[in-house]
Amino acid sequence: MWKFIVRRLLITSPQIIFLSLLVFVLASFMPGDALTGAIGPDVKAERLAELREELGFNDPWYIQYKDWVAGILQGSLGESFQYKMDVEDLIWQRVINTFWLSLVSVIFIYAIGLPLGILSGRYNDTLLDQLITGYTYIGFATPIFIFGLVALWIFGYILGWFPTGGSVDPGVESGSIEYILSKLQHLLLPGLSIALIGTVSTVQYLRSEIIDTKQKDFILTARAKGASERRVYNRHIFRNSILPIAAFFGYEIINLINGTIFIEQIFSYPGMGQLFLDSIVIRDYTVVTALVLLTGIGAIVGALLSDIILSLVDPRIRIK
Amino acid sequence: MSKSLFGKFLFVLMLAFVLLIAACNSDEGGEDSSDNDGDDTEQNESDDDDSDSDSDSDQELYSIDDFESYTGEGDAIDGGSLTFGLVSQSPFEGTLNWQFYSGNPDSQVLSWFDESLLQYDENYNVTNEGAASYEVNEEDSSITFTIEDDVKWHDGEEVTAEDWAYSYEVIMHPDYDGVRGSSAGFAYLEGAQEYKAGEADSISGIEIEGEKTITFNYTELTPSLLTGGVWGYPMAKHVFEDIPVEDMASSPEVREEPIGFGPYKVENVVPGESVTYSKFEDYWRGEPNLDEVTLKVVSPSNVANALETGDVDLVDSFPADQVVDNIDMPNVQWLGMTDLAYTYIGFKLGDWNADEGEVNYKGDEMKMGDKKLRKAMWYAVDNETVGERFYNGLRWNGTTLIPPSHPAWHDDSIETPTYDEDKANELLDDAGYKDTNDDGYRETPDGEELVINFASMDSSDLSEPLANYYIQAWDKVGLNVQKLDGRLHEFNSFYDKVGQTGEDDPNVDVFMGAWSVGYDVDPSGLYGRDALFNFTRWANEENDELLAEGLSEEAFDTEYRQDVYSQWQELMVEEVPVFPTLYRAMMVPANERVVNYDISVGSGVYLYELGVTQEEPVVE
Repeated sequence: MWKFIVRRLLITSPQIIFLSLLVFVLASFMPGDALTGAIGPDVKAERLAELREELGFNDPWYIQYKDWVAGILQGSLGESFQYKMDVEDLIWQRVINTFWLSLVSVIFIYAIGLPLGILSGRYNDTLLDQLITGYTYIGFATPIFIFGLVALWIFGYILGWFPTGGSVDPGVESGSIEYILSKLQHLLLPGLSIALIGTVSTVQYLRSEIIDTKQKDFILTARAKGASERRVYNRHIFRNSILPIAAFFGYEIINLINGTIFIEQIFSYPGMGQLFLDSIVIRDYTVVTALVLLTGIGAIVGALLSDIILSLVDPRIRIK
Repeated sequence: MSKSLFGKFLFVLMLAFVLLIAACNSDEGGEDSSDNDGDDTEQNESDDDDSDSDSDSDQELYSIDDFESYTGEGDAIDGGSLTFGLVSQSPFEGTLNWQFYSGNPDSQVLSWFDESLLQYDENYNVTNEGAASYEVNEEDSSITFTIEDDVKWHDGEEVTAEDWAYSYEVIMHPDYDGVRGSSAGFAYLEGAQEYKAGEADSISGIEIEGEKTITFNYTELTPSLLTGGVWGYPMAKHVFEDIPVEDMASSPEVREEPIGFGPYKVENVVPGESVTYSKFEDYWRGEPNLDEVTLKVVSPSNVANALETGDVDLVDSFPADQVVDNIDMPNVQWLGMTDLAYTYIGFKLGDWNADEGEVNYKGDEMKMGDKKLRKAMWYAVDNETVGERFYNGLRWNGTTLIPPSHPAWHDDSIETPTYDEDKANELLDDAGYKDTNDDGYRETPDGEELVINFASMDSSDLSEPLANYYIQAWDKVGLNVQKLDGRLHEFNSFYDKVGQTGEDDPNVDVFMGAWSVGYDVDPSGLYGRDALFNFTRWANEENDELLAEGLSEEAFDTEYRQDVYSQWQELMVEEVPVFPTLYRAMMVPANERVVNYDISVGSGVYLYELGVTQEEPVVE
């Protein structure tokens, strides 16, 4: 197992290097830079030219790349021009928020998806199943940014059950119990919004897997042996049907780490997705490259995670 | 059987939708590519349809004159708290110091707890109403400022002349990497460049004459100094002294526990999303009215809901395309003022000479070189209607290049071209632009095909219809104008193409942009011969002279300066290197309970007086 992990990481590291190179080259083709937004009657062009020179914006991409790699080897991802702070601090600030939001969403996704999928698969073609499948179709068809807005409008503004934006109440002392509760409260509505839409594929996968497994010969055998219906479903069918979902788990997490740009924007939630988009728009290159690198590493780790989970769940799959 | 029939029916229905959508798309696409032979009336109709669907169908018209910038003076309760919405797609950066901040969101956060020592009047001239008063000494080209006695930092220390000098030393420091430090207050300051180059330990032009008195010595006095040129923000030296300049912007003293001397002090910062303030009892103008202010970021997509439910009382700005839909919101009062900005259409008349650092005007070689052609293009567009149809009157026809936000400088007596198709045709005929090969478009006087490339920015939902409108308006007078590359351009690439780096894209002939103007009326940063942002690359001697005169010592006399700038506005109308299209209103909603608040500058109403008439926001 460990051998596998190490080997896998070794194989993937060139991918990451290639990825970072690609980002640098592509970034150099992007028009404008972090100072484009600063132009105006009050700012002299000479000052901007001076800054470009100082900050190395004028250097060719390979020089910038070399500096960047040198920085990384010393443990620094550089400084964000826009935020005037170290990129790693900036990302850390945001990644924490995104992590909590992801965690809550993942919990909701499985808390909603698994029972619905099982029910729907077990009682397929009943009214209950049709209701659940109906929900999944609606879920597939609803864009998350519409759903998020509507949810915020109804539950945030009209009913007032949830806070309407931010990750924590203004003015709460960091670290107190109140702070943690406030954070949690702010996570519920965006987390639910993500989960209600995001869970539909889980429901669908699980449903079709269960229906599929139900008809397999070994189930017949289990029943013939006299296993209770409950045991048949929990031990035999469920365990076999969960495979594709387990395989997906790693990717699911990575997707969520990257942030959900729409939800973040609607709920004014300062997370990674927003940071990424903003940095591209304002050409904050140091942040963009750091984030691409991070996402790349994330994707690779996610795939690895999926494989490991799969091997744990399904004894037939052996990692060599 | 019936089930499969139903299935077929569904399939046909879907196919029909697909076709419908495809048809709609091709309609739009046709406009910019192959409409050469289409007859005029049909295009007019489709144009009308376009703007109908984009602006509101009920077409209620508003005017900036119907709105006041002041909430009025109500019966404010003692204390109370208020929630201020910072309308932004993204979190604020959190560089909470005037020396270092870079975006509008941060400046909104800053203005609650820190302010300039200088106060401006409605024409953006420095007055003596602020925390510092000034005296100009003409003999030795210097200005002496005296800070009021009771101006204190939030930690109780006095704001001193030393603090003010310190902000200059930081901004001009070789390690400082912000964009400030090029306005007149720095450029004309004696010894500033030597200090910046590291040749001197201090700026020789700054003399500290006492705890509260400071004199800035300039190489030359220019009226710009007192219309926004002097940097008026002190920096708490006792707090920052030990921090190296390059680390200041990321220090906790800037990001977490920022200090100022404004009416409210920062209690708590949640990075990027909210700030809570409490009143600063020792504020120099007097004790602030409110006990607490909370600032939080609100996404533009829910700001209307947030106002309606009383979630926020006041916002910094409101998305222009949502104003009309929400103007009747029952619990909200709308404040309005003329924005310090204008939209314009510019003509490329040369390129940038990087060696000399000045524009290389070559009107004779350029496609748009003929003044009459440019003027005809101005006559051909109906900006009044554009303002009414696209913005319900909250943007309106622009006349000169100094917008009415600067009432003393904007000359409304100047006659400028307004929509007149006949006049446009006449001008073009006069100049020799005639359709010689009967393709429906005019050729150049030399008989060559004339295709004009129009660059425009993709900044909002209205960008595309707006660009289409202008193209069609020019089409009607027989000019073949095409979108550059057949599409709109994203912000960064637009400014690259028009030449923010000095490498102008030679394919751009006409472009539409917008400028927000500073306090200082001096336009030389945008239209001077040595201004990189003079994207038209137009200059002539009269322009040079007028711009120089506007900054000369004589121009300290307001009437003289007004006259200079009137002449300049007239010159620009005459030469048309650019023409303004729209002026705009800035609209800010405030909850009914908010009183003593004014969004304009120089109204004599200050932030510490802001109050509320009841504990809870008004909700309908």
